[in-house]
Amino acid sequence: MPSTEEGKAGAWFARFSHEISAAWAISRKDMITYYIKPNIIVMGILFPFFMFLAFAIGKNAPPGTLIPGLIAITLLFSASSIEPVSIPIERRVKTFDRLLSAPISLHSLVFGESISGFLYSLGIACFPLIVGIILFATPIEHAPVLVIAMALTAFCFATLGTLFAAYPTENVGEVMSILNTVRLPLIFISGVFIPLSAMPQIGQEIALFSPLTYGNDMIVYAYTGTSLFSPLLDILALVIFILIFQFAANRLYKKFNE
Amino acid sequence: MNAIEVSHLSKRFGALTALDDISFSVSEGETFGFLGPNGAGKTTTIRILTGISYPTSGTATIFGHDIGRDTIAARQSMGIVSETSNVYDDLTAWQNMIFSAELYHVGRYEREKKATELLTTFDLYERRNDKVHGFSKGMKRRLTIAMGLVNSPRLLFLDEPTSGLDVQSNLIIRDVITGLIHEGVTVFLTTHNIEEANLMCDRVAIVNRGIIAAIDAPERLKNTIQSVQSVVVSFDHSSAQQLDEIHHLSMVNDAIKEGDKFRLYTEDPATVIESVMAYAHTRNLRVTSISTLGPSLEDVFIRLTGLQRTGGAIHAID
Ligand SMILES: Nc1ncnc2c1ncn2[C@@H]1O[C@H](COP(=O)(O)OP(=O)(O)O)[C@@H](O)[C@H]1O
Ligand SMILES: [Mg+2]
Repeated sequence: MPSTEEGKAGAWFARFSHEISAAWAISRKDMITYYIKPNIIVMGILFPFFMFLAFAIGKNAPPGTLIPGLIAITLLFSASSIEPVSIPIERRVKTFDRLLSAPISLHSLVFGESISGFLYSLGIACFPLIVGIILFATPIEHAPVLVIAMALTAFCFATLGTLFAAYPTENVGEVMSILNTVRLPLIFISGVFIPLSAMPQIGQEIALFSPLTYGNDMIVYAYTGTSLFSPLLDILALVIFILIFQFAANRLYKKFNE
Repeated sequence: MNAIEVSHLSKRFGALTALDDISFSVSEGETFGFLGPNGAGKTTTIRILTGISYPTSGTATIFGHDIGRDTIAARQSMGIVSETSNVYDDLTAWQNMIFSAELYHVGRYEREKKATELLTTFDLYERRNDKVHGFSKGMKRRLTIAMGLVNSPRLLFLDEPTSGLDVQSNLIIRDVITGLIHEGVTVFLTTHNIEEANLMCDRVAIVNRGIIAAIDAPERLKNTIQSVQSVVVSFDHSSAQQLDEIHHLSMVNDAIKEGDKFRLYTEDPATVIESVMAYAHTRNLRVTSISTLGPSLEDVFIRLTGLQRTGGAIHAID
């Protein structure tokens, strides 16, 4: 017989690995089922691209310098587009009940749902990344920082998408419009199009509450080596946002379960 | 230890009381039926017992685990088949099975074995690599049940398993459930099909408007209303006005037409038989068959829920 402490640790480890594999199963299911849904392709790929084009045309900066911002908003839109589509659909066809009644923690459900948005957006964000490298030869100063920045930003917005999908509706459009009232303003107040230094005081203060500010700042740092905050502060801020979104989502899914 | 223990459970949706202080227990190995019309609160009960929904008050335990506090442990030993066939249309039958197994932490070797076994039992193995999208209603239902069994549950929740299905699917499903009952699996089944409850359940709770009107073995429930008996008769010719005429024979409380037969409800079958024979004689009819019947579960149900009999027999109250 193992000691009770060892037994406890073993049981805890078994529990943890079960939760992780269930979360992974949930995200794999999302990948097979939802990555190619038209809604997701429009909101996740086309929308950020055209949004960006519209702004880039009005500027006379060299196109290569716009790549970091394009990556940031691509991550925002693609990562936060999967769950607001998949979860209302699953509510409608009642497969969501399967997830809610499985012997897993609600945290694993939220986490698993977010992983699919996370991986999707990393895949999509490779396009502006590669376009930058090939077409504009945009130099990347700190490649490892870019990897961390993209991963954290993607995960943060994927969890944001899962959080908004907690809104108890079977209608995809309803979640999307609520989400858009939040994420559209984000791109204007986070230093993506307008540098924070060029914004009025109040705008700069609001920007501190936007996760995109830190994601964008860290991506800019990875490309240029200069940034507003230090990359460490950006990492800390993004991790805090992820935790807030994860726990808030957990609370809301519980609450809306009647 | 009881498989299910429910104590003073209530559930309100705003002003609507869906469950009103219900209590019951289901022992291990028992097949327990929740029989009631639409809106009685059957699905609400299952949703609370499986931890998807929370009670307004009261408690429920599954094999001793409180469903609210010890949710994951309580769920580990249960299989859930919900009212709607909730399968993933964009996944294949096989992927659906494996996904379900993964949610229940069934190991890799075990889940492939179980998936093969169950898909074969439910006559879906040949179609395992097809997307569920094109499956018929009966096939989706069978797949839903197979998914509910992939973790070899000790307790199976079935919410209207055979409602509105084709005969072939019905037969397979009933067969499988009977097999599980033999293996000692506890089954909690909701149905509005009285015959299904009568045939499959050790005990039946009759629910209506969130209240349990009675709980007992089907035969004992019938005994409680022994006063409702019936005479079933058929004549060599039948005509439209016969039903009305025999309705008015002495001691007949109610008369319904069941196919080519008439069923006459009475407390005094002997007198009714005499008056039916006399009636046949005056109308020049031959009685081709006549028999007396005790109360059916349907009679108990109607008596307890106050539902109206509408024309023919109410086997399924849709
Ligand atoms: N989520 C809900 N919100 C409001 N009312 C509900 C909800 N779920 C069920 N009800 C109501 O509760 C009652 C019981 O429903 P249900 O348990 O589904 O009945 P049954 O399964 O016996 O047909 C019905 O009147 C139904 O309309
Ligand atoms: Mg129901």
